[in-house]
Amino acid sequence: MSQENILEIRHLSKAFGKHVVLRDIDFTVKPGNVTCIIGASGSGKSTLLRCINLLETPTSGEVLYHGVNIADRKVNAASYRSRVGMVFQNFNLFNNMTVLNNCMVGQIKVLKKDKETARKNAMAYLEKVGMAPYINAKPRQLSGGQKQRVAIARALAMEPEMLLFDEPTSALDPQMVGEVLTVMRTLAQEGLTMIIVTHEMAFARDVSSHVVFMANGVIEEEGEPEQIFGAPENQLTREFLSRFIQG
Amino acid sequence: MSMPEDFLGRIGYLLSEYGPSFLTGAGKTMLIAIVGTLIGCLIGFAVGIIQTIPVGKEDHIGKRVLLGIIKLILNIYVEVFRGTPMMAQAMFIYFGASAVFGFNMSIWFAAFFIVSINTGAYMAETVRGGILSIDPGQTEGAKAIGMTHVQTMINVILPQALRNIMPQIGNNLIINIKDTCVLSVIGVVELFYTTKGVAGALYTYFEAFTIAMVIYFVLTFTCSRILRAWENKLDGPDNYDLATTDTLAHTSGMYSYTAPRKEEE
Repeated sequence: MSQENILEIRHLSKAFGKHVVLRDIDFTVKPGNVTCIIGASGSGKSTLLRCINLLETPTSGEVLYHGVNIADRKVNAASYRSRVGMVFQNFNLFNNMTVLNNCMVGQIKVLKKDKETARKNAMAYLEKVGMAPYINAKPRQLSGGQKQRVAIARALAMEPEMLLFDEPTSALDPQMVGEVLTVMRTLAQEGLTMIIVTHEMAFARDVSSHVVFMANGVIEEEGEPEQIFGAPENQLTREFLSRFIQG
Repeated sequence: MSMPEDFLGRIGYLLSEYGPSFLTGAGKTMLIAIVGTLIGCLIGFAVGIIQTIPVGKEDHIGKRVLLGIIKLILNIYVEVFRGTPMMAQAMFIYFGASAVFGFNMSIWFAAFFIVSINTGAYMAETVRGGILSIDPGQTEGAKAIGMTHVQTMINVILPQALRNIMPQIGNNLIINIKDTCVLSVIGVVELFYTTKGVAGALYTYFEAFTIAMVIYFVLTFTCSRILRAWENKLDGPDNYDLATTDTLAHTSGMYSYTAPRKEEE
């Protein structure tokens, strides 16, 4: 694997009107890395992730994907997004489609695969997340954890180079959190590049190769999980993690 | 056969003498209502979709100006046709076209045109509401797998919006069945016009309009039942079959990953 950065963020800022949410963010993602972004609610984690997928347009700065600045207006956002998957807190499965069609529609419409290939591919990923028996169900008939696993399968079926998770377990009860994190652990072991915004500290410590701690729109500290969770240098990081480390 | 004395007898008499006229009138009413509603829905979808095209600062200035002008014209269309009575519009368009433009439209064309364009104005707002009612998360989910705006609309948003506005489409159809009667002012021989003719000829207003009321009600009630059944069909079954042949498969929601996997190579 080349050590070229998949993603490089340079001086990224984002403001909604006068309210500055992100200030001068810099960080890089190498292939196969699992980057966990942690921090208090409102610290800008989700906005950062949404900027990476262009669901929000950065106010200034660069988001370099293989060296190309995708924040540039000339770049085709749709084709970039088809290579970088995203999993949302509220699942966002298509309510008008069955589980199987949710995982096929992107392959057929965006990647222009034929139906049979798309179906086989979708089945393989649904199998992987343990949702293969449910292909005929509509999203409204599933539990939260099941929906999130389908959402992960849908993102994987596009065979993305990188997968973004925006608080994937925040809307789930503890048992469902377990089933979703199990799937994500498997993906991490298989070497998929992931950026995960999460409040699951134990998961972040165990799975990530890189941890970013954010507070008030800036990156306060980043590094190896052992360092961030074991010996945080920054005062804010220590305060944020104090409850977790004691408990 | 002379006119019977009692009420039911008179109704029987009218039906035997003018039954086919009533049926023809009812048929024309339905034809105008159905065609008008269908074309109106198409107009409504087109207008509603254009009105919900997102424009942001990052779009080209030409595109923004063009869209702005189109949206303004469509807004005027919606407001004018929603804000004036269909009966007045019928007179205005039918006689105006021949007086001002020398365009003598056929009575059928006028009927379809007026009902369609009226329904379109109402449907435009309904469709806009239907599109806005869909959770923005659906759009984000579609964008996140690389769909364009058009693909998102066709595959994700419109099917859901259509389902949500089905009751309103049904409403429009029923309103149109009843409101075609205002077209009698320009001489469309639909159910109301027929009834008025029959009533006036034999001086049997109560009996003739009793028949008309029953026919109108049967038409609207049948349509509302059919549309309700269609809605249920769109919703699909409440249950789903598990796609597994192994009856011992673990299907309770948890899935175990403890078994060794073969994928490592």
